[in-house]
This record gives sequence, C-alpha cells and structure tokens, in this order.
Amino acid sequence: MTVIEVSHVSKSFRIPSVRRNTVREHVLGVLDPRQFRELKVLEDVSFEVRAGEALGIMGRNGCGKSTLLKILCGIYLPDRGRVTTRAAITPILELGVGWNPELDAVDNVCLIGAAMGLTLPEIRRRMDEILAFAELEPFANLHLKHYSSGMASRLGYSVAFAAVREVLVLDEIFAVGDAGFRAKCEERYRALRAAGHTVVLVSHAPPVIEGFCSRAVLLENGGVELSGSPGDVIRAYLSGLTPVS
Amino acid sequence: MTIASIETERGSAADRLHADAGAAPAAGPAGGEPGWRARAGLVWTLVRTDFKVRYHGTLGGFVWALAKPLIMFVLLMGVFSFLFASNPTYKLDLIVGLFLWDFFAEGTRSGLGALHVKGFLLTKARLPAWILVVTAISNAAITLTVFSVSIVVFLAVTGHAPPIASLALFVLYAIALAVIVVGMSLGSSVLFLRYRDLNQVWDLLIQAGFFLAPVIYPISILPEKFHFYLYLWPPTPVIEFARDVLVRGVVPTATAHLCLAGVAALTMAAGVVIFRALSPRAAEYL
Repeated sequence: MTVIEVSHVSKSFRIPSVRRNTVREHVLGVLDPRQFRELKVLEDVSFEVRAGEALGIMGRNGCGKSTLLKILCGIYLPDRGRVTTRAAITPILELGVGWNPELDAVDNVCLIGAAMGLTLPEIRRRMDEILAFAELEPFANLHLKHYSSGMASRLGYSVAFAAVREVLVLDEIFAVGDAGFRAKCEERYRALRAAGHTVVLVSHAPPVIEGFCSRAVLLENGGVELSGSPGDVIRAYLSGLTPVS
Repeated sequence: MTIASIETERGSAADRLHADAGAAPAAGPAGGEPGWRARAGLVWTLVRTDFKVRYHGTLGGFVWALAKPLIMFVLLMGVFSFLFASNPTYKLDLIVGLFLWDFFAEGTRSGLGALHVKGFLLTKARLPAWILVVTAISNAAITLTVFSVSIVVFLAVTGHAPPIASLALFVLYAIALAVIVVGMSLGSSVLFLRYRDLNQVWDLLIQAGFFLAPVIYPISILPEKFHFYLYLWPPTPVIEFARDVLVRGVVPTATAHLCLAGVAALTMAAGVVIFRALSPRAAEYL
C-alpha cells in the first residue's frame, strides 16, 4: 500500500538578479526592474513510498534532495504536480536551528513536541525519556542559547524520535553527535523499522543507504534517474561522480 | 489528506513501537493531522512560553507590561489635565484610551513579527501558521484583561459601577479590537517575511496613529467634519465607544455598532485574504 505518492512534482525558485527584501528597496527600485533567473530544482519527479519500507533518496549536493523532502513534509508547496500523503509524517530537518534561544530545554521540547503533534500529557510523560536520550538531563533548565549546536541537534533527534507516529522523514541521518549517540540513534531507528514504521531518508553516503534502506531512488538534475535496490542505486550514483584526478 | 482505512494498520505499528519505548500510543486521528488535543496543547504552550520569554515567567515581570501605559498615563495626565481642565472625565477617558491603544500597538507589533520569530516551527512540522499569529497577541490581550478588570473594580469602588449591559458592550468592543488586531497581524506577518523593513514602516504608522486616534485629546476639540475620517482609523471607534459605555454612561447608536462590526469584519477579511495568498510559501521566505 502506498503511503506517500509523489506525482509529477516540479519546483523552481525565482532568483532575482538583485535581492530586494525591504519596502525601501522596492520603492527605490520601481524604475529599475529586476531580471529573474529561474532555478529549476525539481522537474517532473514521480515516485511512491510504500507502507513499511525505508526509502533512501541519493543524489549529489544541490540535486534537490532537501527541497524534495520539504515538499514531502508539506513545508514547501510544489509549483506543479501533487503529493498525496496517507499517513502522518514526522520530519527531522534542519536540526541545529529552530529553537527558541530564550527558553530552556524543557519548554523547547514542549513547543516542538506540541508542534509535531504530541499532546501535553504525552510530552510530560516522556520528558525524562527525551532528555535522557539526548543526554541532556543536567542541562534541562539551561536556556537553548547556551547550548552547543551538537547539544541542540541531539535534542532535536530525541524529540522527533519520540513524536514519530507513522512516517519518519530524515535529512542526512545520524550526521550529529559522537559515536555513542549515533549508535543510539541507529538503535532507535532499527526499533522504529522493526515496529513497522515507514521511513524516507536522504543521504549521499553509500553506507547509510546500504545499511538503512530497503529501496532507493537516485535524484539527478532535478529528476528521478533510477529507482531500485540500494546496491544498484549506489553503483549508479558512484559511477556518475566525477573521478578525482 | 486523510484516509481512514490505514488507521488499523498504523495503530498496530505505533502500539508496538511505543510498547518498546515503554510509553502509551500517540493520540491522533487517522492519516496524520494531529488531533485537537495536540493543537490545544500547542496553543497553550505558545501562550505560556510567550509570557515566560516576555516577562521572565514572573508576576514581577508582568508588572512592567502594566507599568508602561500607567507611566504614560501619569505623565500625560500631569500635562494635559490642565489643558483639558474643562473636561471632568478627562483622566478616565485618558486611561481607557491608553490601555486600548496599548493593546492595539503591542498586539499588532507582535503579530507582525509572529511568523518571523516563530517560523522555525513551520520548518519542523506541518502546522497551521495562523495559530502562530493569533497566539502572538496573547501577551497584549492578557495586559488588556488585567487592566479592564482593574478599571471596573476602580469604578465600582468609587461608586460609578457601570451596569452589566455596559460591561458586556465593553467586552464586545474589546473583542472587535482583537479581531482588528488579528486581521492586521495576519496580513502583516506574511508581508513582513518578504519586506523586512515592514516593522519600521509599521512603527511609524503606530506613532502617527497614536495622534490620529483620540487617545490624549477629546475628539470634540476637532471640527465635526473631520470626525468621519478619524473614525476610519479602527482604534478610534473602539476607544470612543468604550469611553461612552464605561465613563460617560451612554450607549452608541445601532448604526455606530454596525459600522464597528463592519470595520472589524473587513479588516479580518483583508487579513485572511492576504494570509491565504502568501502563507503557503511562508517557509520559503524564512
């Protein structure tokens, strides 16, 4: 059964020759129209995610992986095409950023957890577990502005792992923390998979695609180049890379 | 999009997972959108953390919120009560005007910045962006509520307790003002993401608007023919009507009420139209 269906999705960004993002610049620039360059990020992308599978999306930097994930999660709108989702998606994107620096970890967990769809009793019940997983119990009452980026990322993983209801969407999985924390994340990931959760994850690291995915898609020049087993996709990906001379 | 048929399958998967984690299954309807309890929790958390950040979570900090209009009141009263000595209710008019104005100014300011400040939540999860805008005015609303209760208590203690009907009308005016503030905030919050100096523009408008609304002067000192234009600035009718029912003990006409309702509805409609047009791409401008 299909949980996410991506059909003919295109997305481009209009890049102005001069950036104007104030009223003043717009007013002063009335007589000086700007040129726009169309940056096509995704072009007619179609694929589907089936229930219970772990789909890996591979591709080089700038091939549109992160944009595609944001469209999957409903954060960006596609220009054309549509994404049909039949399950709740929990994204883990841009982990280091996105906290209220003036609040402590407990309040931030409440905020992000509630935004991700947890109820307050659920958050309160799992607060200790979330802080323990992130190894941040001693810093529970420290404002996020005093956190290192690694600490903030660990907290991000921890909240999102606790908030997963159906589908987990991950951008560059396990890219944070020390070896010990990564091992914990992997363990949690495998527990989620064993419990039947669907996963979509993006990476350009072959070991990640090989080790964590049941199927993979190669994204190139904004389109789906290949869809198949992780091994096939990794081979195609590696052969497409420019050899280092 | 939600399809109920997958509920059973998902339910079992989630149950097993949470059994592993030693916690109860997540609540939520089929197919994904979090239930109302999660949304209510989000609203409460936004209001609570806003209050905490603004006032360091203490009642002592909250005193500052009341202090600002109060100090303005003392200063302005010191100067202008001589100028308007012939007006016996000037002081009460002034304080009612100041607090309503303060709600308008503070509310629209924080509403304008709402998506900019809390936009990080939009990149974490799919959630209705309007919740962020509406909850952003909660601090201003709390201040106005505390003030309203205080002024009514004061009026009662000094033997001028307004009748219940007048109080009910005052509550309606405050709601109309809140609707206006939310409408303006919906529009300005998405525009601010594209025009990053809109807050400066808005500050100028607020500064000019303070004198356009009859906050520190009685509207009667201006020629009648200008009144219509003053009433076009939404805070004006709210402030004047509130003074009518609380201080002067008169009730504005039905037509006046209809006009206020119309202004509130129009502001809200304009805000909703702008918001619906621009908010789907808000995340791209964060």
